[in-house]
Amino acid sequence: MKREPRKKAKRSQPSKGRAVTRPRAVRRAVTRAAAKKAAVPAQIPLHDMKAEESKYYMGVSEPVYQKSFAQELQQGELPGRYDEDVLVLQIRDPWWAHSYWDVNQATLARLKQDVGPAWGGCRWILRAYDISFINFDGTNAHRFFDTEVDLDARNWYLNFGSPGTSWCADLGVLLADGRFITVVRSNTIMLPLDGPSWVTDEEWMIPDDDFRRLYGMSVGLGSRVSSPVGKLWQERLKRDVSSRGLASMGVSSPVKKAKGKAAFWLVADCELVVYGATEPDARVTIQGRPLTLRPDGTFTLRFALPDGKQVIPVEATSAKTGEKRSVTPTVTRRTTRQP
Amino acid sequence: MLKGYLCVVLHGHLPYVRHPEHDDFLEEDWLYEAITETYIPLITMFERLERDGVRFRLTMSVTPTLASMLTDPLLQDRYLRHINRLIELSHKEIERTAWLPAFNKLARMYLSLFSEARDVFERYDRDLTRAFKRFQDSGNLEIITCGATHGYLPLMDVTAPSVRAQTKTAVAHYQKVFGRPPRGIWLPECGYQPGHDEILKECGLKYFFSDSHGILHGTPRPKYGVFAPVYCKTGVACFARDMESSKQVWSSVEGYPGDYLYREFYRDIGFDLEYDYIKPYIHPDGVRINTGVKYYRISGSTNQKEPYDPDAAREKAAEHAGNFMFNREKQAEYLYDALGRPPMIISPYDAELYGHWWFEGPQWLEFLIRKVTFDQKSLRMVTPSEYLAENPKNQVLTPSMSSWGWKGYSEVWLQGTNDWIYRHLHKASRVMTELVRQNPHVHGLKRRALNQALRELLLAQSSDWAFIMATGTHVSYAQRRTKEHLLSFFKLADGVRADGVSEPFLRDLESRDNIFPDIDYRVHQ
Repeated sequence: MKREPRKKAKRSQPSKGRAVTRPRAVRRAVTRAAAKKAAVPAQIPLHDMKAEESKYYMGVSEPVYQKSFAQELQQGELPGRYDEDVLVLQIRDPWWAHSYWDVNQATLARLKQDVGPAWGGCRWILRAYDISFINFDGTNAHRFFDTEVDLDARNWYLNFGSPGTSWCADLGVLLADGRFITVVRSNTIMLPLDGPSWVTDEEWMIPDDDFRRLYGMSVGLGSRVSSPVGKLWQERLKRDVSSRGLASMGVSSPVKKAKGKAAFWLVADCELVVYGATEPDARVTIQGRPLTLRPDGTFTLRFALPDGKQVIPVEATSAKTGEKRSVTPTVTRRTTRQP
Repeated sequence: MLKGYLCVVLHGHLPYVRHPEHDDFLEEDWLYEAITETYIPLITMFERLERDGVRFRLTMSVTPTLASMLTDPLLQDRYLRHINRLIELSHKEIERTAWLPAFNKLARMYLSLFSEARDVFERYDRDLTRAFKRFQDSGNLEIITCGATHGYLPLMDVTAPSVRAQTKTAVAHYQKVFGRPPRGIWLPECGYQPGHDEILKECGLKYFFSDSHGILHGTPRPKYGVFAPVYCKTGVACFARDMESSKQVWSSVEGYPGDYLYREFYRDIGFDLEYDYIKPYIHPDGVRINTGVKYYRISGSTNQKEPYDPDAAREKAAEHAGNFMFNREKQAEYLYDALGRPPMIISPYDAELYGHWWFEGPQWLEFLIRKVTFDQKSLRMVTPSEYLAENPKNQVLTPSMSSWGWKGYSEVWLQGTNDWIYRHLHKASRVMTELVRQNPHVHGLKRRALNQALRELLLAQSSDWAFIMATGTHVSYAQRRTKEHLLSFFKLADGVRADGVSEPFLRDLESRDNIFPDIDYRVHQ
């Protein structure tokens, strides 16, 4: 068994928040005492002898991770923007998408120059084009809608209101005379349907009524559903059966938390410490069970103390002479509660 | 007579949390708790089933981040330290509860669980992926892969090279850990975006899973609802979740885990016991945390907390397994008539639900497997590969974009608390693609820097960070991880572009963010 030589506790870094100021000496003392205890054949079922092997394990070898880099990373901040022409649409659900954008300084300067004196009267606009089932050439959209934005907000949620359609958007300026100048065009998105498709497949045809029953079964609402099939999904959503809605990592449990805001409360309990000392090589029992002495002959035991009377005979037998001594504390606990 | 197939899928995942720069790091406990409470109970269950000659068929993802942590020597050492502390604590607890028989019995139960966990851990040479591999090799378990760092793919759609890098890196890692290519993939968060199946096909993957509406809202209409897989146009199969079997386990209202005989997750001696006594077993800075030793059962609306009774809970788990099987038999019977072919019922769950939250979950699963094997004839448990081999003819359709998150799409990972990350993630992704294009064949320092840049990018993409930001606990940690990986990435990228990579900086990152040692940056294209 190798024990790490005692070192000055070296902190790899003075980290914010989760600084681990670990009382090494204290931990060491605790584990060492525990290791001794575990080594004695004993009062506890020990299919457990390997425990001591790790008692002196003090962690890892010194990390190569260096202070300067760690601090640099912790104190560094991501830039607010990358000074580029970009507009991205991302689907949030069948109705909404998130957009973020940025406009390069040079682009902006050029734009101001092009627009000239009319610059003062123009507004920044997100123009969303419905381009479902077409090759969009900039002019042939089925329809479009405008959303006035603050250029510096650099992101916005757009409600398209029509699941199953395809969209792209332009960020640009709308001049006082109604002219729209595109500065940057987004990617294209296709919003998912919020219900089953109306397209059917000849080879895999299914009658509507059968499909409705199957759909009800599929979303866990049973086969006797009455709503039209398009509404069932919304019903299912209301039932809240999402999975990863439960956090992993103990953030949440499948069981509802007891109470949200509990009323005023109080918890009080009692434990009893029995301690003492004798010759280090004496045999000692407490309530008839053997206990382990520290090297100096002292001992400490700790008990959860229930209501009622506890008779606690402590008996020691000398290893040299066989002589016996006993001390028997009797403790009674009675708890009252109000209200 | 066969009336239906049942396919239970466990999604085993934890984000990559490994902090050699700290001696003791709170978030690493996620792994240690999951090892003790979930992975080891599953492994001992597999061992018992195999010993009894039960041919069980389970599908389980072991994500590349989880597999990487399970094979990491530092975390293995630390797990041993962790479990040894728990063993020490349970010895003390046996002593302390001497006058409280119900609690004393539980303290002994924990000692035996923790000791067994350590034995199993040692028995597989501290590497639990070997255990999972063993049961895959013996033909019982089908292990599937996942995104390399569990990046949520629909929100990477504008940077397709990242989708490819997530998938290819995962497949290569799987090959290394499990000694064969993966057949299927659990898309992170079940997030499917039409078109991504092309990348799956490119990577040799035969199937993936979606939530119910992935297939139900696919085009054209699915003839069999969620009760048969479909093929995407690429030929990759998609299996969708059955909500009815899901909600019996998941639902906070009707779900089994809320039964009053089961163990209460929220009462832990890390919070309940006197401070000086428990201090060596909670966080070293003195913050109380869960220890894993929990003595109470779930109680009703009354305040009276009863001690947990493991025997009664076990009986209940058996009863619930019987109930689940009965319901599946009924469901299969009905569907068999309606469909004219045996339905495939897909029941996927987070693996960490079993044991960690739902303490009795592994027992329930074992009862279920045994009952399905011995007590009935109409249901058969299968894996997706097995199903496809027997039922190769399936409808072709384009599944709908979907996820299994709250509300079914991307809102969990795209909302006010976390939408700011995508500007940076996408920027980094575009820079990475550019760097790969500019440096198709480089060696030495530059190659190392590019490989590390991809590691940092992948780590920043973990959906866990956005998820944690949305749920509101451990938020600063999630923000810090996103930020630090991205900053590291950009610094490396600057170094590569300027031909001035700082070797000490690179070396430090390599030792800290050491996931995927064999990564090839060129997969990002």
